[in-house]
Amino acid sequence: MLVEHARNLAGIADASHAEYGPGGRPVIDLLACSLQDQTIAVDLAPGSLLARLYGRTNAVERTTCSYGLVTELQHLANEHGMRTSATDDTGEVRAIERTDHPFFVGTLYQPQLTSAPGAAHPVFTGLLLAAARD
Amino acid sequence: MRRITVNLLIDYAPDHPYHRASVAALHEAAAKTDIPIELRIVPTDTIDAVENLTGASSAVFIGPGTPYRRPEAANEVIRAARERGVPLVAT
Repeated sequence: MLVEHARNLAGIADASHAEYGPGGRPVIDLLACSLQDQTIAVDLAPGSLLARLYGRTNAVERTTCSYGLVTELQHLANEHGMRTSATDDTGEVRAIERTDHPFFVGTLYQPQLTSAPGAAHPVFTGLLLAAARD
Repeated sequence: MRRITVNLLIDYAPDHPYHRASVAALHEAAAKTDIPIELRIVPTDTIDAVENLTGASSAVFIGPGTPYRRPEAANEVIRAARERGVPLVAT
């Protein structure tokens, strides 16, 4: 999601994801501190779609990610229609969303891991409701 | 309520717990919202025309499990969903 954003909106034509090997300008790279199999507390940006979905401004989520937006390019999450919608205690971006789109959300954590029968995760109910309004 | 199509882009492995959780989470959301869904699992190396994945009454879920077999195809779907206003979540 951020590679597409960087290439097509932020003017970084050779934006790349380091997991696919060397080459280009990595915008996604190994995190200094891997989040593989971690539980993280995130702060949700007040007024963001994500905060509205959750109905609060904090959450605890599970993540399996070892790659993320490189530290030097955190500003990409707040340009060209993108905004940061969640951060963790490092202050780094953990979720993003587009402000010029009905529902365009990316998370560095996996909300599907905290969804359960009878307790659907708001990110996914929000996705379906947005599509149903189409 | 009208049925919607959810295209789950994922190089699906049935024994992968995060992949199974992705499918389950969509069904749990459908039950909660009473929105009937047609769930299509779309491996990245089967993506052809992005228009087929970003039509009316559809949503896109970019699933976990990188590296994808065809990351460029996934990027094209993300671009199409962005430009067409199709709801998308990437986890």
